[in-house]
Amino acid sequence: MNAARVTAVVLKEWREILRDRIYFLLAFFLPIVLMVVFGYGMTQEIDDIPFAVSDYDRTALSREYTHRFIESRYFDFKGHLRSVNQADTLLTGGDVQFVIVIPEGFQERLLGGQQTEVQTLMDGALTMPLRTIDGYVEAINSAATSELQIEYLTRKHAISPQRAQNILQPIKLEIRYLYNQELRDIWSVAPSLIMFNLMLSAPMLMALSVVREKEIGTIFNIYASTISRAEYLLGKLIPNVIVSYINGIILMLMAIYYFGAPFKGSTIFFLSALLVYVICASCMGLLISLWVKTQMAAIIVTIVSIFVIAMQFSGMMAPVSSMTGVNYFLAHSFPPKYFNDIVSATFLKGGGLMASWQELLVLFVFFVGFYIFAYLMFHKRGKT
Amino acid sequence: MRFIAQRIWLEQFAVLVVKEFRQLVRDRAIFLYIIYIFTLDMFIAAGGPSMELRNANLLIHDGDYSVASRELTYRFRSPYFRLTDVMMHPEDGMHLLDRGKATLLLDIPPGFEKDLHADERPATLQVLVDTSKSQIGYLASSYSARIGESFGRDWVSQNSSASGATSLPSIKNQRRIWFNPTLNDSWFYGISEILAMITVACIFLPAVAAVREKERGTLEQLLVSPLTPFQIMFAKVFAMIVVTVIGTAVSLFAIIHPVFSVPVQGSVTLFFVLTALYAFTASGLGLLAATFARNSGQVGMILLLIVIPTIMLSGIWTRLESMPVWLDFLILFSPLRYFVEIAYGILLRGAELNSLWTPILAMLTLGVALFTVALMRFRRQFA
Repeated sequence: MNAARVTAVVLKEWREILRDRIYFLLAFFLPIVLMVVFGYGMTQEIDDIPFAVSDYDRTALSREYTHRFIESRYFDFKGHLRSVNQADTLLTGGDVQFVIVIPEGFQERLLGGQQTEVQTLMDGALTMPLRTIDGYVEAINSAATSELQIEYLTRKHAISPQRAQNILQPIKLEIRYLYNQELRDIWSVAPSLIMFNLMLSAPMLMALSVVREKEIGTIFNIYASTISRAEYLLGKLIPNVIVSYINGIILMLMAIYYFGAPFKGSTIFFLSALLVYVICASCMGLLISLWVKTQMAAIIVTIVSIFVIAMQFSGMMAPVSSMTGVNYFLAHSFPPKYFNDIVSATFLKGGGLMASWQELLVLFVFFVGFYIFAYLMFHKRGKT
Repeated sequence: MRFIAQRIWLEQFAVLVVKEFRQLVRDRAIFLYIIYIFTLDMFIAAGGPSMELRNANLLIHDGDYSVASRELTYRFRSPYFRLTDVMMHPEDGMHLLDRGKATLLLDIPPGFEKDLHADERPATLQVLVDTSKSQIGYLASSYSARIGESFGRDWVSQNSSASGATSLPSIKNQRRIWFNPTLNDSWFYGISEILAMITVACIFLPAVAAVREKERGTLEQLLVSPLTPFQIMFAKVFAMIVVTVIGTAVSLFAIIHPVFSVPVQGSVTLFFVLTALYAFTASGLGLLAATFARNSGQVGMILLLIVIPTIMLSGIWTRLESMPVWLDFLILFSPLRYFVEIAYGILLRGAELNSLWTPILAMLTLGVALFTVALMRFRRQFA
């Protein structure tokens, strides 16, 4: 390993990055744009969900029940419907997310101590946040029921509301939300996006920088020179890792200051893990570049593989722990899952080296493995 | 005479379209990619992990060891929960939650059953939920709360004397989910993926085809031939629209519909006519991108900057209501924003043409505008 030759490649590469204006712009601009776009495009904040009410009872109790939904900060009341047939138009047109239908005799039955049924008609076309919305609706409904029952018992048996409550609800579940008390979805998504965006941009920049030389033909200079395979690969890797590491720090700052995600863990540990991850991701790009011949193919292969690996099998969308079979295996075979664990441990859970050293070790093993593999795959003399 | 001119125009156009098809098939990387996005990719996406709570890892610390505590813990079961471990101390559970090894910890204090029998105070127990993944965390806590309630109700009806005999007022929420009664996530994933991949194909293919000709200089050759810039550009777009519509048909009728049983409620013809219209609109965006790039590496990067925002800012994945105000203006330029309404309308909600005029007209306007600007820039660069 000759340091002078490595430096020469690093400098040449660095100049190329700076001189190609579009490439330079995209190297730093792309991750930022993607961070903003995915940040808003993927979060499922439940607020201002439009709904309407079809009240056939029109009594004090039915109005009180409706008001529970109107006053919720999660929902946006769009008005009363004259009849349930209007629900059809509204739901089909996608104008409201759900319609509550309160039947006639709602108040009468409740005051008489009987059960009554309300209907919630929900638009199920986009299922993503629907279960959460359903959870909120159910919670409001069950709060209404329990207040009614307490009132009823208090009146009927002439006991204190407190005692009525104890009789009706003998157990009390105290639910504590850990790490994200306000259930802000962006707090979950933004840190994971650091993982995702770097996995998209770092391999792509790396792969493009090698494939471009292949496409233009300048790689033949390398084939003919005295530089060794390991020196060339290292010289290519270093400037691209620097660019992607700067991007990683920018993304981290965006997650914290733009999206407001709390960073509770060890900064030094996170920055070191970020570096190992960026090197890992760049080495993946190196592997891709050895395999494809054109820049377009490099972009395509990167996008196809990264979208599947880093989005579906990283724990960003659904937790890896509840995956089974092939999915579980796939998730564990690539770096994103491990870095995603580190990200969520350091950002929201306040972890550091103690909590995540195993994941860091795995990332390091990936890096060494990828680099050795790239070294063995890279030949100065073609097969033919 | 006029008639002959038109025939020549059409013949020239047909030759150009055939040329585009040949070039597409011969570019192996791109051809394979197009086959991939309309076939294998659909399987992967539609079979993606469900957003329902599944096998959430549950830890239990049972400080009571009573019949009641065992019965309660027994109710936390599959498919929602999976009992992973029993803790001797709640602190050990906290440690596992910190490490991300579990989603929730059910902590039953000593004296739980005794408190249940006593009317003075409710039997309190704690559920600690990892909400670092907010959706899953919320579902885990919401389902826990329901389990707690139903356990309490059953306990009252079995053991209590005060209220056991009398009936109580209660509001039962009958939930009806329209358009997807069983809340099958594959329907949503499948349709969203088709829409996303149509977008990728329509923006990507014409742009690549145009830049390739720029890069190799063959565009100059075409321009000195008796062809108009419009013919050259529109032939590319037309060829790619055909490819896209075929791809859509394959993924809808060969994969999404038969394998994942996604229904087609509305008119199939209407859907494909509007898909072609959408393909035209989106390809305007691709052609516009092509006028900014000099080589295929650059066009690839620019496309990422256009394709991904077009998809993510369309409401395909989230509700547009929750986007910040400053993005509203950009969202207007995402052609997919209109097509999402149309496609979900026809495929799942069974909407008909008369209720879809607004998004159709908006999409058409955007398409014509994009195409005009792209053609103007194209003429200025080469003529």
